[in-house]
Parts: sequence; structure tokens; C-alpha cells
Amino acid sequence: MIELRDVAYAYPDTDHYVLDGVDLTVARGEVVGVIGASGVGKTTLAKIIAGFIPNVEGGTLDGSVAVDDVPISSLPLAEAVAQVGLVIQNPFNQISGAKFSVREEIVFGLENTGVPRDEMITRVTDVAALLRIDHLLDRSPYALSGGQMQLVAIASVIVMGTPVLVMDEPTSQLDPGGSRMVFDVISALTDAGTSVLIFEHKVELLREHADRIAVLAEGRIIHEGTPRAVLTDDRLESWSVGSTRYTRAARAARGAGIVHPDAALPVSLSDSTEYFTTQRTGR
Amino acid sequence: MSTSHTPVEANKVRNRVLIAIGAVVIIATYLYLVLGQPSEFAEGDFGQASLIAIIGYLLGSVLIAVGTIHRLPTTTIALVPVAIAVNIVVGQLSASIGLPIYLDSIGTILVGVLAGPAAGALTGALTNVIWGMTISPIALPFAVTAVVIGVMAGYAGRLGMFRRFYLAPIAGLITGIVAALVSSPIAAFIFGGATGGGNGAIVAAFRAVGNSLLASTTFQGLLSDPLDKVITFTIVVIILFALPSRFRSRFPFVREYNVFGKQSELAAPTRATRTGEAGDAAAASTSGDDSASTDGTPTPKG
Amino acid sequence: MTTTLYEDRESAIHRLNPVTKLVAMLSIIIIVFAVQIWWVALGIVVFIVVPAAVVSGTGGRLLSLSLKLLLPILIVLVLLQGLFFPEGTTVLAEFGPARVTVEGLMFALGIGSRIAALVLCSLVLLLTTNPALLMTSLTEKGMSPKMSYVISSTLQIIPAFQTRAQSILLAQQARGLRLKGNPLRRAGAILPLVSPLVLGMFTDVEERSTAMEARGFSSPATHTSFVVVPDPVGQKIARWLLIAVAVASVVLSLLGVFK
Repeated sequence: MIELRDVAYAYPDTDHYVLDGVDLTVARGEVVGVIGASGVGKTTLAKIIAGFIPNVEGGTLDGSVAVDDVPISSLPLAEAVAQVGLVIQNPFNQISGAKFSVREEIVFGLENTGVPRDEMITRVTDVAALLRIDHLLDRSPYALSGGQMQLVAIASVIVMGTPVLVMDEPTSQLDPGGSRMVFDVISALTDAGTSVLIFEHKVELLREHADRIAVLAEGRIIHEGTPRAVLTDDRLESWSVGSTRYTRAARAARGAGIVHPDAALPVSLSDSTEYFTTQRTGR
Repeated sequence: MSTSHTPVEANKVRNRVLIAIGAVVIIATYLYLVLGQPSEFAEGDFGQASLIAIIGYLLGSVLIAVGTIHRLPTTTIALVPVAIAVNIVVGQLSASIGLPIYLDSIGTILVGVLAGPAAGALTGALTNVIWGMTISPIALPFAVTAVVIGVMAGYAGRLGMFRRFYLAPIAGLITGIVAALVSSPIAAFIFGGATGGGNGAIVAAFRAVGNSLLASTTFQGLLSDPLDKVITFTIVVIILFALPSRFRSRFPFVREYNVFGKQSELAAPTRATRTGEAGDAAAASTSGDDSASTDGTPTPKG
Repeated sequence: MTTTLYEDRESAIHRLNPVTKLVAMLSIIIIVFAVQIWWVALGIVVFIVVPAAVVSGTGGRLLSLSLKLLLPILIVLVLLQGLFFPEGTTVLAEFGPARVTVEGLMFALGIGSRIAALVLCSLVLLLTTNPALLMTSLTEKGMSPKMSYVISSTLQIIPAFQTRAQSILLAQQARGLRLKGNPLRRAGAILPLVSPLVLGMFTDVEERSTAMEARGFSSPATHTSFVVVPDPVGQKIARWLLIAVAVASVVLSLLGVFK
């Protein structure tokens, strides 16, 4: 579980709080998607939850950040990272770069934390099957495509088995099929009790897989709710966040007077089909 | 945690001791080779000079590398491979386009200036190890020179030689002279002056007028190393000045020793005041604050 | 995609534990420098180093690499010491300031045989040893995983850097960069090549170190190893013997036995 209470943060040598009053909770087994314009502090927030801020990067952090009821900044980094798995945005920087095969790359974190060899073998086999990268295990990490690299990067974090996962745009290099598979894996993990906080701009995937969506703007969680409620909110654009293409099409239709003005906006394909068949004004 | 405390302290002491012994071994080796003036050529060979040169310098470099690596934070460790790659790639490039200088220590000097003498020493030592592994094993015995260059770059940064553009080449000149002095016994006693075609010709010229082999390799080094380091330090200071200061000031070493001069002091950050947000808990510092909400239930908002 | 000289083959030499090969290499180098007798060094090269390369199937590579790396040095050495050895007294020939002396040639032979042993021994180690396994086995023997990280990572990013440097070089040449003229101007031409490389290093490094920390890189836990390198007892004994011989040769050398 992740609990953020009134979190505010300013980088070292700056007098500006990039985050200012973030409140957010992710329960056990829950997937919460965070959306927001670029540069709004998503990566900073990810690093705060993972214990890197202020432990490693310094700066001024106010408020409280707790993971499973333990204030994360009170833990030494080595213990914090055992609680929170962090998938960073760029998979090419996620991999250690020091390993000569994908298999060894995935177990890098397990070696560091002293996991016995037999368990490493089991875990790497399981995670590779889960993400369907079995065929890549003997390849050099430097010979992978962007999408393959991203799956390896995700595998290398999931394999650590942390109770909390923070993922920063984990599908940026993936095609729609790959993205959907990653979200299926996330669902499997949350079914087993993992809490997942995911920064993602593919709102249609969040609509499908997230329990809740939170909007990060103006340095705080400015709005939060069920995917349907958030994605049909009229203020999304003012927070520089995109809605689904179905919602956008429906808004355009409503603006043109083709559909009834007070019908609930659609957020998925089936919604949309229903919306445009039942809510037409006949003009 | 309490159990890991003492070993960490013990390791710190151990690392310091390793570095200190390494430095003493290197200095003693140099002094023996230069001042001891081993009975050169008495038996048609150097006696123990070659043995002392190879063992003393290698052992000293290894001790310093082992002692420094534990002291460095992960950010620096992640920087070192990139710096070594810059050394090797630019060094090869310089040779391939026919420059008369080595240009094989740009990364070492950058790391020394940004992350300190220990990091510079490690970068230097491992550059020669990897140069030896990938291009030519002849680089290995010269690892000690690269260590000295990294250390000197670190102290140049610490002493403020990178605060003014014109001071860096001076630091380069001094580093180059020291590098020439340190490497000349290797060139003389291990390679017999034959470290390359051009260098060999220069050594031959000094020998022809009656100098000892060590004196000849020293003069040869003094003709090439200082020029190389003046140019390299100039390139490094240009690159560093071109970097945004927020990049440079990310390095704790840079902040601690004001490597690039004093940063203007900033006032403590102030938060925008909003009301009705999360009660009055605002501004409670996280340090030592374990009063995180413990109700354990998610509180999804509508 | 590594840049090392390693040749992936099946042979008894390849199968040796990498640490055994490293200890053998260092011991031989120390012995050769301690004993200081040219025929000992040449004997080791002819009867140990070269056969090891042939057995491992890397003899051809060793030959071509020696011609490239070793021969130029040996030629310079013979010319330098054979012609300019002021301390020499037994003059064989004289050309102006240059004098060919027996002492000079003997000196070149002594130094040359040691350089040959040093270079050839290192080459055989590199040709027959997978760098990944070398790092793993050294870590098993107590080397810091950080050291292993730096070396392994560097070996793998060099090719990427070479590619990047080449493309930057081509782009700069297309924009009129000239690699001719006096050395200072050419050195100036290096600058636009180096800056992009260095900038790249700043942007990626911080993120990479965060990711490594998140995977327990500085965890105080005792490191475990996924790859297991076989290390039979026989090789352990052989290593201690090699070390003992090397130490003995150093002691004897310092006592002046080999004079």
C-alpha cells in the first residue's frame, strides 16, 4: 500500500516546489493510474515513492510518504528498494548494461540482494514466461529492439517481487499488443496483492485496467476517481490531459448537436457504439 | 542495521589504508627507480629495476583501484564506464586522424574534476585495464600514469583550477609534467624506450648525445605529455563551461569544493499557501516524522 | 557485441577457470621480470605460451596480433638499443653517431624477450577467456561487484560509442569539418566530436544509477552469483603453486641469485 499525505518537494538549490500538496493512496492489490502533462512532476513523484528523494537526490521534502505503513524516507535506500520496485521511463537506462545475456540481466537485482541461485532460476523462468520473453533469454541485452528492451526492463523489476510497483510509462516503446500484455501482467500481479502506481498517458489502457485514475496538475492530485468519471470530466483539457478518442468523438458530436446533450459520455468502444446508436437526436 | 554499522566503519578504514599503501608503494617505486639510479647496465641489464617497476606500479594501482571503488556512490560508478569509453574512443579517433597527441584521458579528467580524485584514479586505472583488454596489452604497465592523471585532475578541481578558463591549461601543464616523470621509468625499464616509432626516434636522439636511457625517456615524455595534457584540460574546461550549471552542480564533489566557483545562495523554498488541503499537516518535515496515517484503508475520492 | 579479443571456441585452455589463467599470466610475467635471463623468457614463450595458443585454436590470431602489436616495438627496440647504446664497449660497426655494440644488442634481446612474454601471455589470456566469466569468477573470489560492473559495462558500451563517434564525425565532415592543417587546429576539430558524447553521458548516467539502485546495487546483502564457474581442486592447487613460484623468483632475484 502507498499513502501520500500532503507531499511537497523542491529540488536542491531551487526555491520552487515542483510538487505541492500531493495526496494519494494506492491500496493493496489496487492499480492506480496517474495522468498529467509532461513536466508536471511524474518522475519526481515516482522517485519520492521509491525512496530516492530525498535520500539520494536531496532537496526539501514535506509531508508524509508511507509504504505499507512505514515512512519510506526513514528507511535506508537498500531497504526502501526492497519495498518498492521502480520501472523507469527509459528502458535503455533501466538495464544495468553490465550483463552479457538477458537472463543474467534480469537476475542482476537478485544477485545484488543475495537471492539463492536455485530461486533465481525459478524466478527468471516464471517472469520470462509471464512477459513472453523466453526466446530472448540468451540474447545480448544490447541486441534488443526498443519494445523487447522494455519488456526485459519490466521483467528485471517484477522479478524482485516487491509488494509495491511504481511504473513510469512502462509501455512507451511497445505496440498495442505488447502494451495490453503488460497490463495483463499488472492485473495478475495485483490479483496476487501487489499495489501498482502507474504513470501512463495511454488513457484507454488505463480505462480498461486501472481501478482509479488520478490527475496530476499544478503540483498536486487535482482530481481523482473511477476511470469513467475522470476520463469524461470536462476539465481534463484545462489540465493538459487527453481523454479517450471515444469521448472526444462524442464531445464533438454533442457540440454539433447530433446527440443528446446530457447523456453520459462514452469511454470505450462498446460505450461508444451504444452512445451513438441510442443518443442520436435524429438531425 | 545496527549489525551492519561496524563493518561499514571498518571497511572505510580498510579502504583508506589500501589507498594510502597504494600511494606509498607508487611513490617508493618511483623514488627507487629514479633516485636509487639502479646500477644501470652493470650486467648488461637493469638488475632489479624492471622487476621493481612492474610490480611496484601494478601493485600500487591495484591497491588504489580496490580502495577507491568502495568509496564511490552509484552515480559515480555509473559514470565511470562512459568516461572510460570516451577515453578509448577519442584516443583511437585521435590516432586514426593522425593527431600527434594522445587525447586518451578526456573522460578521466572529466570524472576527476566532477567527482574527485578517487573517482579520477579509478577511471584512469580501469581505462588502461580495458585498453589492455581490447586494443593492446602494452597499455597495462602504464596504468599508474592514468591513476596519477585522474588524481591530479581531482585536486586541480578541488583547488579551483576550473573556476577560471585560463587556469585549466596551467593545471594541464603541471599534470603533464608529473605524468611524464611517472611514466618515464616504465618506458625505460620495461620497454627499453621502445614505446612506439616516433617516441623511439626521439629517445634515440637523446641517447645519441650520451644521455642515460631513463633521462632520454624522461625528456621524450616531457616533449609530448605536457602538450597533450594542456590541450586535453582545455578541451575539458570548454566542455564543462558549456554544460548547464545544474548538470555540474549535481555532483556532491562539485558542490562541496566549489569546483566552478561559489553558487549564489538561495533562500529556503517557500510553499504556495492554499487552504482546505489536507488539514494543517502541511510543512511537517518527513525527517523523523513517523506519524504517517495508519488507518490502513484506502480512501478513494469520488 | 563485445570489443575484446576473446575467441569463442572449445578447448582445454578455454575450459580452465578464468582466475587460473589470470594467475598463470601474472605469475609468468613476474617470473620473467624476476629472472631476467633472456632464454628463460623466450623458453617460456616457445614452450608454454605458444603451445597453449595452438592447443586452444587461437594460434593464428596470436600470430597476426603479435605482428601488429609486438613486431613494431621489437623493431624499434633493436634499432634504438642496437644503434644508440653509449654504454656499449664492444663495437661491431659505426655509422656517424650510431654505433652497433654487442652490449646494446644483448640489452635489446633481454628487454625484447620480456616484452614478448608480457604481450603474448596477456594475448593468450584474452583470446581464450570469456570476459563475462572472468568477471564472474573474480567476483566469486572476492572482487567487488562494482569493479565487475564497471569493466563489463565499459566493454559493452564501447562499440555503441564507436558507432556514435563515427556518425558524429561523418556529420561534422559533411558540415565542412576539416581534419587537415596544423595539430592545434586539428585538435580543435576534436571538440565538436567530444561534446555530444559527453553530453550523452550526463543525461543517461543519472537515470541508470537510479535504476541500478532500485535493483539493490548497493545492498549490504552478501552478493550471490547466477553464473557458476567450475573451479576444480586441481586448479586451486595449481594457482597456489604458480603464486609460490612467482614469489620465490622475486625473493631469489632480490637476493641477487640470478646475477
